[in-house]
Amino acid sequence: MFRRFAISCFVALLTLPAAARTRPHYGGTLHVEIEGDPWQRPNGIARRLVFDGLTTLDTTGAVQSALASGWESDNADHRWQFRLRPGVYFHDGSLLTSTAVVQSLNLDCPANCPWATVHAVGSMVVFTNDSPMPNLPALLAGDDFLIALTVSADGKTSSGDIGTGPFQVTSFNNGLLVLGANETCWQGRPFADAIEIRVHRAVHDQWLDLSIGRAEMVEVPAEMIRQAQQQRLKVLVSPPAELLALEISDNGALANPMMRAAIAASIDRSALSNVIFQKQGEVTASLLPQSLTGFSFLFPVDRDLNKAHELRGGLTTPTLTLSVDGDGAMRLAAQRIALNLKEAGFNAQEGSDGGAQHADLMLRLIPLEGGEPFAVLEDVSRSVGQTVLLPDSSPTSLYRAERDFLDRHTLIPLVDLPRAYAAGARVRDLALDAHDLPDLASASLEDAP
Amino acid sequence: MSLRQRLLLLFSLTVAAAVAAVAWTVLVRIRHVFELRDQEETALFVSQFQREFQHRSAEVAAAVDHLAVSERARGMAFEIVQSGDASPYLTEAQTMAQDAQLDFLEIVGADGDVVSSAQWPARFGYPEPAVTGAGEAAFLKREELPDGNSALGLFAVRPIRGAEPALRLVGGKRLDQSFLADLPGAPGMQVGLYNERESSAGANNVSGVDTPPAFDPKQLVGTNGDVPSADRYQALIESALKTGKQVSGIVYLTARREDSATAIPLKNVAGRVMAVLIVALSREGMVEAQHHIRAIAYGVASGGILLAIACSLWIAARVSRPIEQLARAAEEVASGNWDVRVPEQGHDEVSVLARSFNHMTKQLASQREQLVQSERVAAWRELARRLAHELKNPLFPLQLTVENLVRARALSVEEFDEVFRESTATLGMEIANLKAIIGRFSDFSKMPKPELERIDAKDVVERVRSLYEGAASREAKIEFATEIAGEPMAMMVDPELLHRALSNLVLNAMDAMPNGGKLTVSARPQGANVDIKVADTGEGLTQEECERLFTPYYTTKLHGTGLGLAIVQSVVADHGGTIAVESRTGNGSTFIITLPIAKPGTPSREAAAPKSTRPSGSGDL
Repeated sequence: MFRRFAISCFVALLTLPAAARTRPHYGGTLHVEIEGDPWQRPNGIARRLVFDGLTTLDTTGAVQSALASGWESDNADHRWQFRLRPGVYFHDGSLLTSTAVVQSLNLDCPANCPWATVHAVGSMVVFTNDSPMPNLPALLAGDDFLIALTVSADGKTSSGDIGTGPFQVTSFNNGLLVLGANETCWQGRPFADAIEIRVHRAVHDQWLDLSIGRAEMVEVPAEMIRQAQQQRLKVLVSPPAELLALEISDNGALANPMMRAAIAASIDRSALSNVIFQKQGEVTASLLPQSLTGFSFLFPVDRDLNKAHELRGGLTTPTLTLSVDGDGAMRLAAQRIALNLKEAGFNAQEGSDGGAQHADLMLRLIPLEGGEPFAVLEDVSRSVGQTVLLPDSSPTSLYRAERDFLDRHTLIPLVDLPRAYAAGARVRDLALDAHDLPDLASASLEDAP
Repeated sequence: MSLRQRLLLLFSLTVAAAVAAVAWTVLVRIRHVFELRDQEETALFVSQFQREFQHRSAEVAAAVDHLAVSERARGMAFEIVQSGDASPYLTEAQTMAQDAQLDFLEIVGADGDVVSSAQWPARFGYPEPAVTGAGEAAFLKREELPDGNSALGLFAVRPIRGAEPALRLVGGKRLDQSFLADLPGAPGMQVGLYNERESSAGANNVSGVDTPPAFDPKQLVGTNGDVPSADRYQALIESALKTGKQVSGIVYLTARREDSATAIPLKNVAGRVMAVLIVALSREGMVEAQHHIRAIAYGVASGGILLAIACSLWIAARVSRPIEQLARAAEEVASGNWDVRVPEQGHDEVSVLARSFNHMTKQLASQREQLVQSERVAAWRELARRLAHELKNPLFPLQLTVENLVRARALSVEEFDEVFRESTATLGMEIANLKAIIGRFSDFSKMPKPELERIDAKDVVERVRSLYEGAASREAKIEFATEIAGEPMAMMVDPELLHRALSNLVLNAMDAMPNGGKLTVSARPQGANVDIKVADTGEGLTQEECERLFTPYYTTKLHGTGLGLAIVQSVVADHGGTIAVESRTGNGSTFIITLPIAKPGTPSREAAAPKSTRPSGSGDL
């Protein structure tokens, strides 16, 4: 009996550390390195750590309450009112009010907003529009509509980096953004005491820092996911999160839709996906990924050079300017597209992003956020300054709306790409959220005190 | 041009031509020698460049070869062959090119398509034609780049060993400024590379004709970028492009700089000229030496010519001086001074000529003296004859009258008185006649000196016309006409003497027309002279008469003394003029007095000295 008890005690002692490891620890500093700007729109890595939206998405893409505890629509979705969650404070201690929310939304969206007016009514934020806004809760979960304090309690203009999120800005010097845990966060305190984000760090340097333990989380571009996996890094890969698309100007030399259609038919998507993005993307000719709609396959993705020549009809254009929103694989993809276009009889010259405003062609990444296809379509079209008509919420209407949009040939979907991050061995419970960003608030450090 | 000047010119030209010929020959020879040296030097550098080029080709081939046998390349090839997936190696060419320090590198699959490209990563999947038919040696190729430009490079193709089917590497180095900078150089040498652009048939040429592109100076780059005065190499480059052969020539870059340039065509595998390498060697030292030698040659030649001119001057003076003395002496002789002599120095031909001249003048003077004496005797004889003739006529009646008087002494007193009266009357008349004859001779011997005045020829003619027109028409039925030019014809003459001379001619003309006729007196300017003509329509004169007409004491009249025309000639000669006669038998005669026109500024008749008190008159002189 004693022997059995002793063995049981010994086994229990052995399992204690294991049990301790399974429980996340509070404390410690997470070191994150990124290549870009932490505040960039959309989806700068610091934005969702510092700011919250009125709504958010869960891991399935469904809309969940955030700063708004509830919402309802009137007048066939022409009017929406969002009820603010009580007891939420900004990082400076000021209470989240409907007025602060309205000010932030007006600052975030000065034009081309999903709504016509937004105003505060007590603890309610009311949106109105001439046309129905059936997807407004899902749209408000997007990165564009995160709530920041614009006017402080003493009436002065805020620095713009004060939110209600799990972390608050401590300092931002010499390329190092330091975020401290928000002890009074309405979602609860994050596990890490602080996050240090080193910005503008080359990917290879990030990986090197990860390998020597100077960083706990780094970026992995889509074209390097396979390489990261081969190097046995702990890689978090999202489902399709960004759409690589070619935006075509409908002015000047490309005012003729046949020419734009010829350009669309001349691009070899498989080369982009298989070679440049190392088979980490999914070729697509639709705006919405197959996983969202189920009918993406209806849009042909194959290159048809003969059709391109036929559509061009022997017409020639002056040298087209092709700008790129990004570096590395994006520039390579742009060069590849220029080569494809040359075969189809177009002379395109790839250039920097400086002339993007006047470029004939622009290769860009468009975020695909959320699990609501209608909202995603509306968001995508709005991101390129266009609108889609959705008479109802049926799949047929969605397909027709997307078809109509694509028939304009002003935006050519090419590849759906995932987002990926690599985490170090010390990081626990790091996962990607519904916005395909690392949920650092839920991550903890294994050796944290 | 004088003899001395001619001699001087001849000597100078001869010496100058000789000096110039020598200088030119020397300069040409020196230039030729320098050109040969320059060509040898240029050929040496060109051969160095060609060796360096071959060396670079070998370097490129070795680098690509080294890559092809490397473990990395072989592992990659094995993986690609095994997996059939080349996408993981998209950027492999860039890494390998960096390691091998190659500007261009492409990994080409067994199917000939690019797997990975260092210079144009987006070209994966496109065929690379350079792998077909490429040999072991490096070759020249123009590589297109993503920015739309193209670059020229030295390429080599090597298969990656160990994998079947074999992948190939196409690697190369860019031919650009850094390539030129690494080439062996020398002071004053300039190296440039002209990149032949793609012909218009390459891209959008509708006609399909492969027209060579025009020369573009911007395509010529040197070690420091743009080549100054690149257009000066146009002819060489175009020739090399056209012929595909090495071309050399002199390029004049500036007014003070010229280079010996050689254009070396760089060809691709197909033999097409892709670029032209320009090797230009400054000729500054050679040109300076040539300029120095030329300056010395010009200096020596100029000094020689100046010295030759000085010597020519001395020689010409020495040769021409006796001849000039002879010429001056001959002029003296021509002017009547027969006593002139020239120095007789030396024993050459000129001294013989001088002696002969002196002898000739001595002989001429002697003969003239003899002639004068002979003429003087003849003149006296003629004078005696004329005097005898003139005096004989009155003497004969005098003798008869005296004899009548002697015989009349035997007659009665009344008859004697009558005879005596008649005889004394006859004696008086004949004596008067003798006095007149003697007076004429006296006048001829005492011709007065002309008192010159400025008068118009028109006035002289008008005065004669007014004097004789009436008498001519009234007594001899002669039509008197005058023809006077409109312009003024001022002369400096003695009006009385000229009037008397003209009157004499008019009276002679009237005498020549006893049966009437036309007498014309005209005055016309003739160059710097005035011609005054007196023409009649009488019987005219024979040639002999014309020749002797102005000889004193020669007359065609029965009672003339033969002094009239001699006096007229004397008067005209005293005025610096001439008189001539034109006549043919039966067609009348014309006497022409030619007198010089007075120069402007000479005093007029009114402003002249007090008028002569000599009485005016007319009649036979």
